Amino acid sequence: MSVDTPARPGDEASPEFRVETGVLATMRRIQRPSRLRNRELLLLLFAFVVNGAAMVLVQLGAIGEVQPGPLVAVAGLAVLVLVLHGGLRVWAPNADPVLLPVAVALNGIGIAEIYRIDIAEKLTGWGAASTRQIVWSAIAMVAAVLVVALLKNYRVLHRYTYVFGFIAVVMLLLPLIPGLGLNVNGARVWISIGGVLSFQPGEVAKIALAIFFAGYLVRTRESLSMVGKTFLGMRFPRLRDLGPILVIWLLSMAVIVFQRDLGTALLYFGMFVIMLYMATGRTSWVLIGMTLFVGGAVVASQTLSYVNGRFRNWLDAFNPDQYEAWGGSHQLVQGIFGLAHGGLVGTGLGQGQPAITPLAESDYIFASLGEELGLAGVMALLGLYLIIVARGLSIGFTAQDDFMKLLAVGLSFTIALQVFIMVGGVTRVIPLTGLTTPFLAAGGSSLVANWIIVALLLRLSDSVRKPGPMVGAAS
Amino acid sequence: MSTLTLLVMKIGFLVLLWFFVFAIVYSLRTELFGLKARKGQQATAAAPAPAPAAKRKPSTAPQPPEGSATSATASTLVIVAGTRAGERIPLGREPITIGRSSDSTLVLKDDYTSTHHARLVLWNDGWMIQDLDSTNGTFLNGKRISSPTPVPLGVPVKVGATSFELRH
Repeated sequence: MSVDTPARPGDEASPEFRVETGVLATMRRIQRPSRLRNRELLLLLFAFVVNGAAMVLVQLGAIGEVQPGPLVAVAGLAVLVLVLHGGLRVWAPNADPVLLPVAVALNGIGIAEIYRIDIAEKLTGWGAASTRQIVWSAIAMVAAVLVVALLKNYRVLHRYTYVFGFIAVVMLLLPLIPGLGLNVNGARVWISIGGVLSFQPGEVAKIALAIFFAGYLVRTRESLSMVGKTFLGMRFPRLRDLGPILVIWLLSMAVIVFQRDLGTALLYFGMFVIMLYMATGRTSWVLIGMTLFVGGAVVASQTLSYVNGRFRNWLDAFNPDQYEAWGGSHQLVQGIFGLAHGGLVGTGLGQGQPAITPLAESDYIFASLGEELGLAGVMALLGLYLIIVARGLSIGFTAQDDFMKLLAVGLSFTIALQVFIMVGGVTRVIPLTGLTTPFLAAGGSSLVANWIIVALLLRLSDSVRKPGPMVGAAS
Repeated sequence: MSTLTLLVMKIGFLVLLWFFVFAIVYSLRTELFGLKARKGQQATAAAPAPAPAAKRKPSTAPQPPEGSATSATASTLVIVAGTRAGERIPLGREPITIGRSSDSTLVLKDDYTSTHHARLVLWNDGWMIQDLDSTNGTFLNGKRISSPTPVPLGVPVKVGATSFELRH
């Protein structure tokens, strides 16, 4: 990281010159980065205020008094965030200054709302989702620190493209192994280690897949983009170049059939299609991808009962029969009632009844927040997501090489797609599928995965903004 | 806790949340509305130059006011406009390559720059700018160059969205 000029014999003759350049180099190193990091610190402090206020309001609204216990736990997380911030000052001084504060704010608001639902369900200690969420947040932040500290050069990831592809496939298959896999609400996406720790390997697979896709597409983009026939003003690929997209499509369909997880399948496939589009610049890939997925989803909705049920809940949610049915639209409709109860400015934190909706702390966290913060609050949350995604995309657009561009766009697009799938599902824009709302929803694996994504984006943005031109080696 | 207090706090939290969103957007303003900030930087960067007014006008005169100064004495390339305004590259005797390609000496990442756009070469006792058949051209003092042209000190060279000049 240091840019000190190596001592050359000539420098000894002019010590003053050397001192001056040394001072200048140090000044340049300190001045520019610290401007970014100071901005980050300021926004972080603001985020802490928002999170603290959310916790206090939840307590005042739901219990009527301030209890120090949970506040101390959240303050502990804030200290950890400051450690991450300090780590960035040392290891990635030019990283993007707004990603971390936004992630912290979303995470903190999520914890506050989960805590609010724990109060309503009278859960305390380790039984409470909020306690586990705080612990998982701590683990996730440590993971983020490790990524920032250990991944000095992101190009290393490019070298291990196929290793990451392999890891992703293994992670996807893990829950299907008998004895290790866990069946939760019909979906086989969990693994349980010794019955204590349960984890969703698909979340980690998401990151590994993004790295694999980026590396793979950088290597093959020419053949995927250059050749083919033009039809309807778009250049369509040759039949044999359809291989990769068909493989990913089959993989997604396998996830739908065997793991019974619609959302994850959509996430993987959508990520691949958008990265393919980024790599080749061909609209036809998006068209082919959407046709494949819609086709697959229609077939799945006709043949697989659980997918069919999701579709009926979506299209016919307010039908009393559908509402009363086992696995029917009860949850979806309760979520919508909650959102309606919230109205424009919400009931106020701690003063609604979000706990009526099943899974209010995980799948329906957005409906819970919508009830208590109202449309105004929900729009602010969407604005925060928008900022994360926009920053990620802009890191991609200023990237130094194609691998980094694809990786940054792929990672930020996963966040966008996840938000769309979850918010769209809760608000009945699309059929509801079981994914997690990034940073907000209760769920350890998803938190860890999303914090790693943020750490990767921070790492990538640091390499984009390295000050000073790359002075070519004297050749 | 009275209902009124809770109501005030509820609204207060929403205001706080939106302030947070706006604080972040505000901190990004230089990147969102980069043009204004860039203009300011350009003005300060151009201030020490003897004749800043001449540079603004798309002057047709090929020779700038300080054209008599030979550029052999130029020691730095200063970027005066563009996303990297204010940066300096020390000049040695090696040619400086400019382009989007990451092996260029001066890497410019914008849509108007070609992969290998132009290069600066020290020829006899002056720096020459040579356009490497770029799509959008290289402009010396507002005029597109077609053949290697000497670059006098303090005259802006425009490549894509970036302008730079040679200084002592």
